[in-house]
Parts: sequence; structure tokens; C-alpha cells
Amino acid sequence: MATDLVPEVVRPAADSSRPAPPPKRRPRDLRRDLLRYRWLYLLLLPGLAYFLVFKYLPMYGLTIAFKDYVPFLGYSGSEWVGLKHFQELFTGPDFGRLMFNTLLLALLTIVFVFPAPIVVALMLNELRVNVLKRSVQSLIYIPHFLSWTIVASLTYLLFSVDFGVIANWIHGVLGGEKTDYVAQADWFRPLIVLQLLWKQTGWGTIIYLAALAGVDSQLYEAARVDGAGRWRQFWHITLPAIRPTIVVMAILTSGNLLDSGFEQIWLMTTSLNRDVADVFDTFVYYVGITQGAFSYATAVGLFKGVIGVLLIFGSNWLAKRLGERGLF
Amino acid sequence: MSTLPRLRHKIIAATSLALSTALLAAGCSGGSDDADQQAGFGELTVMTKLFGTAPDPNGEMQQAVEKLIGKKLKVTWVPNAEYGDKANVTLASDSIPDVMVVNEKSPSFVKAAEAGAFWDLTGKLDKYPNLKPADEQTAKNSMVNGKTYGIYRVRPALRSGIVIRKDWLAKLGLKEPETVGDLYAIAKAFTEQDPDGNGKKDTYGLIIPKWPGNYASASPYDVIETWFGAPNGWGERDGKLVPGFDTPEFLEANRWLKKWITEGLVNKDFATLDTGNWNDPFVQGKGGMIIDVNVRATQLLDLFKEKNPKDFDKVTLIGNLKRDDGQKFSYPFTGYNDVMAISKQRIRTEAQLDDVLKTLDKLQSKEGSILLTNGIEGRNFEVEGEYAVPINQNDPKVKAIQNDVDKAFIQLGTRASVGLGAYKVKPADEASRKMRESFDVLMNEDLKTAVHNPALGVIAPTSVAKGQTLDTIVPDARIKYLSGAISEDQLKAQIKRWYDGGGTDIAKEVNDLAAKAGG
Repeated sequence: MATDLVPEVVRPAADSSRPAPPPKRRPRDLRRDLLRYRWLYLLLLPGLAYFLVFKYLPMYGLTIAFKDYVPFLGYSGSEWVGLKHFQELFTGPDFGRLMFNTLLLALLTIVFVFPAPIVVALMLNELRVNVLKRSVQSLIYIPHFLSWTIVASLTYLLFSVDFGVIANWIHGVLGGEKTDYVAQADWFRPLIVLQLLWKQTGWGTIIYLAALAGVDSQLYEAARVDGAGRWRQFWHITLPAIRPTIVVMAILTSGNLLDSGFEQIWLMTTSLNRDVADVFDTFVYYVGITQGAFSYATAVGLFKGVIGVLLIFGSNWLAKRLGERGLF
Repeated sequence: MSTLPRLRHKIIAATSLALSTALLAAGCSGGSDDADQQAGFGELTVMTKLFGTAPDPNGEMQQAVEKLIGKKLKVTWVPNAEYGDKANVTLASDSIPDVMVVNEKSPSFVKAAEAGAFWDLTGKLDKYPNLKPADEQTAKNSMVNGKTYGIYRVRPALRSGIVIRKDWLAKLGLKEPETVGDLYAIAKAFTEQDPDGNGKKDTYGLIIPKWPGNYASASPYDVIETWFGAPNGWGERDGKLVPGFDTPEFLEANRWLKKWITEGLVNKDFATLDTGNWNDPFVQGKGGMIIDVNVRATQLLDLFKEKNPKDFDKVTLIGNLKRDDGQKFSYPFTGYNDVMAISKQRIRTEAQLDDVLKTLDKLQSKEGSILLTNGIEGRNFEVEGEYAVPINQNDPKVKAIQNDVDKAFIQLGTRASVGLGAYKVKPADEASRKMRESFDVLMNEDLKTAVHNPALGVIAPTSVAKGQTLDTIVPDARIKYLSGAISEDQLKAQIKRWYDGGGTDIAKEVNDLAAKAGG
């Protein structure tokens, strides 16, 4: 590195009688900075290019949400229609149902799926036998690597009314009429949550376990000397230690609240549960790809994106108000 | 249960839509560039369906076809299962091929065509002997509001039928059904009288899968409703066209079928069984009937034979049924499957269009049809009277030709699949031969009572604009009603919801357009 090419300018102290002032920051000079750290900036370029090409340029395509887009006419040729598609979405018969389904799934995710890795990580942390801890940990993150297609097939296989192993088992225990879990609308949300728990919990523990590994063991020793039991140690040391991680994860999750996971939902949708299964993600696919209503689908997607951004800023603000550090 | 690997592609497509990247690619369409000036000469690009692995672009079949048309041929082969999605994405891009096989009724195609992305071929095809529509009804069916946007790919005009376990019928001493009442009696017997003789009550009458299409998409439900006299899609009532689901016959048919389901005569998972696994319960001896296209009968024959070479005669095919009062209504098909449309973006001038049409005409000639349907004579088949007999099938190179023909190139034909101009494949055994021959007999018999859809050739603008919210209402409600999740009154309420959500406009437009098209 050739950062030392520009010599520091030594300035005489203004008043030598005073105690040595803190080294003064020179006013920022971008050009100098660029020159000085040129190699670092060079390293930044590919990343910038990536975001520009794959994240920002495509945003131009969002303009079709405000047009009656006909591919043959292209972006410039298609007619501007202002907010027509948004109006259609908000006043259309589907909006209420989509919003309700999406929000309810989001709520269920927050209540059941989000805390699960925290609980499991804390439990694993209490395990003192290292071998056991490691093997449990590895075992529970295997499902993360299975695709949703496989998870959905497994669900059908285990819960279908005629051959489903679990379905038959429940029937055996509870008796009564056989239930078709995969077809019934009432079972759609429980199944979705169960699938999420099964697939994501183990994987989610990784970050919390990492946070827990960083806790200074002296704290525990000190607490024990002071007579703190397991519970006290957990309450006063472990939990505060991972609180920042939880907050950051919560903020990040909030941005994706309306992302219900297209693949999972789509695979589990049938004629019988469509009313409760339709969410923005599947709707965008259905309208955009299978019906070719590109403008409308883009409008829906854009609306979803805007809500996501608002939620991120909102929860970040909330976190700061609650005395946490927040994301930015 | 093998489930849906094809979905991955749909998902990728969906993701790219969400990110709008696919749409970015479309950004520069409509502009002009010189690279495509030569399109239509020298090389022909085509997009069509694929039912297996894609052919080698330098393979023998490809070369033979190129030699025939005197042009380079570039085919984008798209697996059938994701064809609709891929076609929609392609329509949104600037890489539309010269010739594209499309569902000309899909909203995205209608929008594109009306914006001028495809050639209006109305009246232009008569000059080309092999492209000229052979059947008026089919030509009408394949139109979009009076305009022909493509060359239809012929399919048999009536393919609906019932496949029944022949040995079960024999075991229980039952006759082949003629009326819907007979069918119910058979289903009841198949369920309750232990047709497989294992001493357990573990069989049922009818197998229905989760149907991928919407209302009036040749599902078993649509076929049954037609038997009861409901219109096929749209039909005339009191001088006006009404959707088939707004008739008493529709409700009666579903009431009847609901009885089947309540009594356990249908597979319990009928709302979720994947169409890919439709044959399984039949071959495994769980269910005894399937209502679908006639070729399912030969498929099932082959599956039984695969399991046990002696079981080559376990299946019988029945045509459409009479209503209990003796009246008969049969469910016809549209007579074609998708059309070949020609891109205006690539083919700019009338001269170029003429060149492409001439090329397609060559491809659909007798020689071309034989090539696309049977393969290369002397290489993978021999002619024996009216039949083509496969030869040299142990040679991997010949096997490749055979595969390329059956799974891919046949899809380039517009007339090939019904054997127009080509040879029939010689059936492997007596049962298959008889079965094949029965197709035509049943078809000609049932065509006399076929209920045609008078609104096939028209597309209501409202259904193009609002199809996404309306199309699933009725088929979903139908399944819910059948499964007992909603009552008949709730089913009627859903039909009203369809009207309120835009259906009223659609009905009006369909009536106006059909009147204008001189229906």
C-alpha cells in the first residue's frame, strides 16, 4: 500500500501555552481521500457495480406499475395510466383478503417462528455435554437444506387422508372422522407454521449460539460466587447478552413481513384452501406470470416493497426508542 | 408421491418478475435494430413444447428437417408443464421467436396480438395448401374475436371418454354403462362389492385428480356437467349466451356427483391428488374408473402390461353417456391445441411473412408430416401397409431419432398428431389395436351429440383485464361444494360473486362479440 505518499502536514500549535489540543481533524477532502485510499475504493467498485446493475437499474422497470404495459410497445411506448393499477388493487375484491392473509401469516410467524430459534439456542446453551449439544445442533439444521418442494411433498405424504402416516396416527389416537389435513382450509395455517418451524428453527439457532458463545464466562463465575442459580444466571447474563442480536434480527425480519415465502405457500395451495392461502406473493405470480398482467403485478409488488421499507424504518425507530441500538 | 419438480422453474420465473428484472430486458423492445433484418430468411426460430429431453441441435432429425425446409432451424424447446408460464415471460421479453406456439386465448397473448406483436393471418392462409384450415368449426374455435392469429394444431375433435377396469366389470357381472345411472351403479358396486376379491372394502369407483385448469377446461367435472345437459363453457338460454355454471343442469350434475363423494365412491384426496399421479390408484387397483381423454386408456393398458405382460386386456373405454331421460350430450374438444403465431417484431414485411408461411407449408406437407410424426423412413421406421413399424430400436442412434420425434418434433406439426398425411404407428398387440380403433368409432358416434361452445372464438375484454380475480371463483367453489365445505346456496352465492366481480360485463361482451362474429 502506498498510503504514506502524502505526508502529514504538521501544523504549529496555535497556542503553545495551552495543554496539547487533541489532534485536529482536517476538513474532509474527498479527492485526497480517494487518492489516499484508492486501493480500498477500487475494491469497493465491484460491489457498487453489482448493486447498480442488479438492484438499482431494474428499478426502472417499476415504472410499468404506472403504465398499461404492453411488452411489444416497450417501456417508452406503453401508455402512462398514473395510479390506475394501485386503485384497482386497493378497491378490488381481493385486497382485503390478501392483506388479511398476509398479515395473519406474518403475525403467526412473529409469534411462533421468530422466537423458536431463540428458545432452542438458549436450551442448547444450557446443555453441558458438548458432544450432545453439537450433534443436536447439526441434526436440527438439516431440514434447512431441503427445498420447499420436498417439504411440501413430505407434508402431503405424511398428512394426506388415505396414506398419510401422521394423519393415520392422529386418527388412531383421537378416533372419529378422518381429516384431510392438506385439503382443509382450517389446517392450512397450522401446517404452514409447522413447516416453517421444522425447516428454519435449527438454522436460525446458529446466530444466537454465536452470540451466546461470545459471553464472557467470567460473568457466570462471578455470578455463581455471588450465589446466583441457573435461572438467575440465565436471566441476568445470558438473556441480556443476546438481546442486541434479537433486536437486530427482529428489525431485519420486519422488512420481510409481507414476504410470505412464495414457494411454500404456492405449493400448499389447493382449490379448497385458496381463500386463506392467497397472499401478495402468490397473487403477484398468479396475476403476473400466469395471467400476463405485468403492470398490475408490478403495482402489487411495489406496494409490498414500500410497506417493507416502512416497516424496517418503523421498527428501527421503535428499537431506538426502547433504548436499543437499532440497525442504522 | 412424486411432487412437482417443475415448480422450481415457475418459482424462478416468479422471482424474476418480482424483481422486475425480466421486465428490464423488455425495455428496449419495440425499438429497431439491424441484427434482425435478416430474420425470416436463411434461419427460422421457433418456440414449442417438449415432452422429454431436448433434441440435439445437430442431431439427425434436426438435420433432416433443415434439409426439408432448406433453412437453418433454431428451436427453443420448453417442457410442456411450464409452457404457459414460459410463454408469458417470453411475450414480455424482446426475444420472441419467428414462430411461437401459443395459447391464443391467454390474456397476455391477446394483449400482445392486439398491440400488433403478431401477424393477423385472417384470410392469408388460403394460399398455402397445407396451412389452410381443414375444418371450419375448428378454425372458428381458434379465432380471437373474428381474427386468426395463428395456424391451429389439429387434435381429435372429441376425445372424452371413460376408462373402466374391464376385469372388475366381469367379476361383478356388470355391463358397460350407457347412462349416468348405470355409471353410478357401477361406481357403487366397485366400492362396496369388493371387485378385486381381496375380502376387504378397499376400493372405490372413480379417480379424480386436482385439476390444473379452470372452468370449462375438459376436467372430469366439465364432462359430467355436459352429460347432464349443461353448456360446454357458454351456451344459449332464452336467446342469450350464459356461462355454463349458471344453469340448473350444472347444479344438478354437481348434486349428483356430490352424492358420489359423500358415499365414498370417489378417491378421498380428489382435491389434492396431483395429475402426475393420476394413473397410480388405477393401476394399483384402488379405483376402477377415470373420466378423461381417450388416450389415457392406451396409457393404462401399457402400464398394466408393464407390470405383468399377461395383463394386456384389463381396460375398456366407453364414450359419453346418456342422461337418465335418454337424452345424450357429449363433451367435444376444441379440435386443436394452441396455434402457431408469427411474430411481427421479427418478421417485418409481407415478403418475409410469405417466406415463413411457405416454409411452414413445406413443413406441414405430406413429406413433412411423415418426418415430424414418424421420423426418417428406413432409419427408425418402415412402412407396412397403413402402418409405420419401428425398426433398429436397439441402435442408440436410432433410439435418439425415435425419441426426438415422439417427444419433440411432433410438436412442430400442425396436422401430424391426428395422422393427417402421416402413418399410424402399428399397435404392439391386439388389445391396443382394438383400443386405438375404438377411438374413431366412439368419436364419430359422440360427435353427433357434441355440445359445442359457441363463445370459443371470442374473448371479452373484461376477462382479459380481470381474469386473474374471476377465473378461480367458480372452479374453486365447485370443489368446495363437492367436498362438502360449502352448501349449494353458498355455491350459488359464489356464482353471484363471479357476476358481481365483473362477470356481468363479461357476459354482455361475450354476447355482443359473438353476435358480431356471426355466431
